[in-house]
Amino acid sequence: MDALEGVTVLDFTAHVAGPYATKILADLGARVIKIEKPGGDCVRASGPWLGDEPGLERSGTYQFLNTSKESLVVDLKTPGGQQVIDDLLPSVKLVVESYPPDVAERLNLTYERVAFRTKAPMVSLTNFGRSWPYRDYTLTDLVLYAMGGEMFSHGIASREPLKMGGTAALLQSGAMTAIGALGAIHAYELHDIGQHVEVSLFETQAANVDRRSSAILGYRWSGRIHSRPVSNSAGVAGGVYPTADGHVEVTASGGPYWKRFTAMFTEGEFDDPKWTDLAFLASPGAREEADGIIYPWMLSHTMAEVWTEARRTHAMLAPILTGTDIVNDPVFRDRGLWTEVDHATLGKFPMLSRPYKLEKTPWRIRHAAPVLGEHTNAILAGIGYDDARIRELREQGAVA
Amino acid sequence: MSAPGSFLPLEGIRICDFTAVWAGQTASMYLADFGAECIKVENQFVWNPMTRASSPRINAAMAKFIPPWMGGHPNDDPGPRPWNNCPAFIHVMRNKKSFTVDSRRSEGLAIVKALIRQCDVVAENIALGTLDKIGLSDDAIRAERPDAVILHMPAYGRSGEYREGRGYGSHIDSAAGATYLRGYRDSSPLANTSILAGDYFAGMHGAIALLAALRHRRRTGEGQIIEMAQLEASSQMFPQSLLDAAWNGRTHQSLGNRSGEGFVPNGVFPTTGSDRWIAISCRSDAEWQNLVSFLDRPGWATNPLLDTAAGRAEHEDEIEQRLQEFTANRDGYELFHALQAAGVTAGPVMDARDAANDPHLAESGAWTRLPATEDYPETDFGSPAFHFSKSDVRIRQAPCALGQHNDYVYRELLGFSEEEVARLVAEGHIATSYAPEVIATA
Repeated sequence: MDALEGVTVLDFTAHVAGPYATKILADLGARVIKIEKPGGDCVRASGPWLGDEPGLERSGTYQFLNTSKESLVVDLKTPGGQQVIDDLLPSVKLVVESYPPDVAERLNLTYERVAFRTKAPMVSLTNFGRSWPYRDYTLTDLVLYAMGGEMFSHGIASREPLKMGGTAALLQSGAMTAIGALGAIHAYELHDIGQHVEVSLFETQAANVDRRSSAILGYRWSGRIHSRPVSNSAGVAGGVYPTADGHVEVTASGGPYWKRFTAMFTEGEFDDPKWTDLAFLASPGAREEADGIIYPWMLSHTMAEVWTEARRTHAMLAPILTGTDIVNDPVFRDRGLWTEVDHATLGKFPMLSRPYKLEKTPWRIRHAAPVLGEHTNAILAGIGYDDARIRELREQGAVA
Repeated sequence: MSAPGSFLPLEGIRICDFTAVWAGQTASMYLADFGAECIKVENQFVWNPMTRASSPRINAAMAKFIPPWMGGHPNDDPGPRPWNNCPAFIHVMRNKKSFTVDSRRSEGLAIVKALIRQCDVVAENIALGTLDKIGLSDDAIRAERPDAVILHMPAYGRSGEYREGRGYGSHIDSAAGATYLRGYRDSSPLANTSILAGDYFAGMHGAIALLAALRHRRRTGEGQIIEMAQLEASSQMFPQSLLDAAWNGRTHQSLGNRSGEGFVPNGVFPTTGSDRWIAISCRSDAEWQNLVSFLDRPGWATNPLLDTAAGRAEHEDEIEQRLQEFTANRDGYELFHALQAAGVTAGPVMDARDAANDPHLAESGAWTRLPATEDYPETDFGSPAFHFSKSDVRIRQAPCALGQHNDYVYRELLGFSEEEVARLVAEGHIATSYAPEVIATA
């Protein structure tokens, strides 16, 4: 049995954040009907490409974000397309949309319209919500993290603030949207109420993700602004160290962490009693002297060897892995980080697997991301449209 | 429990909460926001690192040397109870209850088990094996409550060769591929500074998994065990890097602030003032043309080679240099509004003061003002990010102080008498402060 069995979601989201929210629901067992505009979700133009060959169906970003979903192509600017939506609404348990507020209004994709046809809740994901002054402003992952997230304190003091890799900020906000959507489903099933749930990308970052909420509260209380550090090192040891073939991230300040870290050094390197003397450890020369021991040791071991030692002593240390390192890691693979999907036209290829293991309702990708319009006929037939009607709608350009 | 008529999504759900740090404590926070009665199990004899404050004995002299997100207690003076006013952790205590018990003693374990009998969820992310050691294995929990949903959030999983690995968010970020991807383009990982995105991403996925399991339980009556390895959840933040490696054997390097989505330019540029910056992206060729017009069509920008993203990518260094010259003597906020009005995606890099004073966040309800307590003054806390039109999802209760709900748990929920409560106080189970020896040595 799937955790979200019996939940049908009408999904009007595109790009990254919204589709990640509905992917989470789909892989937990919801039936997600993805309404794609003619030509498809804009994220189909984002790499990486399967076999390094660009194409509408070959986008890695699209493939990841749309597993287990069905694709129905609808032109919402046509009366026939709008009728399809009206006919779908009565059977859904949730509506999710991510249009800018002015566009949602133009397309009549409002909660009032939804509520006229169904009791189901609706989640609206916007850049900045419906309030002013920023309501109609646009965002990218970079600008979202700059304004809403804690970019200001990421990087080093002498240089510009830095974003995270890939589209991490958008994916974080997408996960937050999934929480809101699940809350709406619970409230609907428990209390038999529909409602409108509004989530803005800006707010998800500003108030809730990473250390941002703490930096804001720390400023309110102390008047101090969290800014970028001069370097990554702090205390007698800690930060990033080079190994023979890579790098490791270390936290070693504080009594137990320092003890577990120095326990990795088994040749008596840190046996001198001064290495447990707090006054010495806090003295200006201690870092330099510790570095004189740590650097040669790190550089004479591989990253894998250091990581093995760290697990033995429970040191707060991790290898800094590349994407290729992670793909090749046999332990991650054995744990189930990867699965394989069988795509309607591209065949089998590897896909990132589960974020969690649920004992009774296992997370599972039921099928690969859909080909554009793959399920148009089946979905329309499912709501009672006969072949002639479907053909007519196709000829009008209302569906595809 | 939530009031009737408040339509809370998790009305009637109670959580026995052993979570620590951010990953676990945010996971249960989302459920508490949704109306679950979340009861933190705390112990005056055990200081959980990175859970209530940097240290139980931090004082005004030390606080100001600690970065403000962690050390910025009210007026930089933590006072006698630093565990009740640390900005790093206090927000994850909202809508939760706190009770104390020494669960390492058999009497304390019996009290915890009595609580578990009245709970629907047991959540934990403390060091692997700790709960088993005190006698709360999955089997022991299910003996008390057969339909419990049990959430474990180990760093690398409960099985596999890495399960003894220990780490915070910065370490999970490193192993999940985040750290490698977020440096400057011209520097090695040695220059990377840590952030804590992995903690929060794992926390969100912990909440998602619980919400899914609770729906199944409501429909079938069946509980289950959830294992959420923080590493596995966090790897989902970087699908492009991982799929390019898996499909094409390509290793992504850090792009600095440049885009992996083909947006050129995509960067952060200085504006007037000290350490002030603006982020500018052109998501399309049309946005680039908007930017060119905004710049008054200078010669360098009207070069037809720059009309396409591919062409601009070849001249990205020059474009960034020119933009930097343009932004450097302009006010960031004026530029932000003017660029957005001209159809260019842009926004200031907001520091904590900018965010606290941002008119839009104030207007959209991002803050909730809570009255002063003995541990902090009247303060605007961050609100839950969702606006539910009917369910009462907001800060309904201020962050719980250590042991604040001992009376409620011991008397109302567990039905202990006056005499028994007095004895449990004397035995050290019931407390509102950490034990002096813990404060001295933690």
